[in-house]
Amino acid sequence: MKRRALWVGFIAVAALSLGAGLYFGEQYWRGDPPPAAQSAATLLALTLPDEHGTQQPLSQWRGKVLVVNFWATWCAPCREEMPEFVRFQDEYRSKGLQFVGIAADNEAKVQQFTREIKLNYPALIGGFEAIDLSKTFGNRLMVLPFTVVVARNGTIAHTQIGPLKSDRLQQVIAPLL
Amino acid sequence: MRDRARGAHIIAVLAGLLAFTASAGDLKLLEPERAFSFSARGIDSRTVEARFAVANGYYLYRDKLKFSIEPATLAGDPPVLPPGKIKEDEFFGKVETYRGDLVVRLPLNAPAPGTTVGVVAESQGCADQGVCYPPQRQRIALPLPALGAGAGAVVEAAPAKRTWFK
Repeated sequence: MKRRALWVGFIAVAALSLGAGLYFGEQYWRGDPPPAAQSAATLLALTLPDEHGTQQPLSQWRGKVLVVNFWATWCAPCREEMPEFVRFQDEYRSKGLQFVGIAADNEAKVQQFTREIKLNYPALIGGFEAIDLSKTFGNRLMVLPFTVVVARNGTIAHTQIGPLKSDRLQQVIAPLL
Repeated sequence: MRDRARGAHIIAVLAGLLAFTASAGDLKLLEPERAFSFSARGIDSRTVEARFAVANGYYLYRDKLKFSIEPATLAGDPPVLPPGKIKEDEFFGKVETYRGDLVVRLPLNAPAPGTTVGVVAESQGCADQGVCYPPQRQRIALPLPALGAGAGAVVEAAPAKRTWFK
């Protein structure tokens, strides 16, 4: 009897903690929503101009391991992670890895920055509307950077709110390539 | 019996801890209106005081910060933004950022006692965790104090639903 009362008490504490966790969790938003094999169809259906004004349908990269990075020049953490993406693009291009940047920015600024870091993958100009789309993939606060990794079969393999560190990126793409 | 109870206690505590860490994760971000809370009050019938309370670990860019009064016919001289903390940006050169509290006075061009004016802030900020928020635009409907009355109450900006590129 006493034992039962204790159990009830402990379960109540656990439930309360869980509730508090959920409640305080609501105050914050954490990254990495479960990707759960979501389709990247809406993303692959996009056509956006690149930094030279040429329209680029994302569907042209279907069948590749596609890393779509939402960024802007006014976002310092975005700029900081991009040289690493350039390195990955170089290293894994022949294995079918393709990066695509979508900038919430204007053409002139994007051109200036991509020249500076010798960007070796397309920098599409998405404006804020394209970043709006990232919300569909779990970027509820629409913060930058935000990265979506699409597997060859068109399903979302990973989404990352905030910087995607090299070791994590390596981990994510290795089984996909 | 006692041991089992202790075991159960430990399990319960662990379950509680787990619940907390699960919701904390490695990246926890405040809603933009909590990270950068915007408020305003009427100092007198022709002076508005705008305030940003920037949460710890977050910062606003000075050159992205813009205040305005609506209707524009009531707006006085452009407000003077205090100097920010200078940060060397590889791409933009010297940039100034604000942390903590930022208070800016917005003068009207004439007294408007009892009038409700719009106090608009456009801002853009980032978190030290390595993300930037999109530019946001917030508007406060602020009743100005009557002639001779003291400063009015602080009005907080309502949580923004969709604030950017509009």
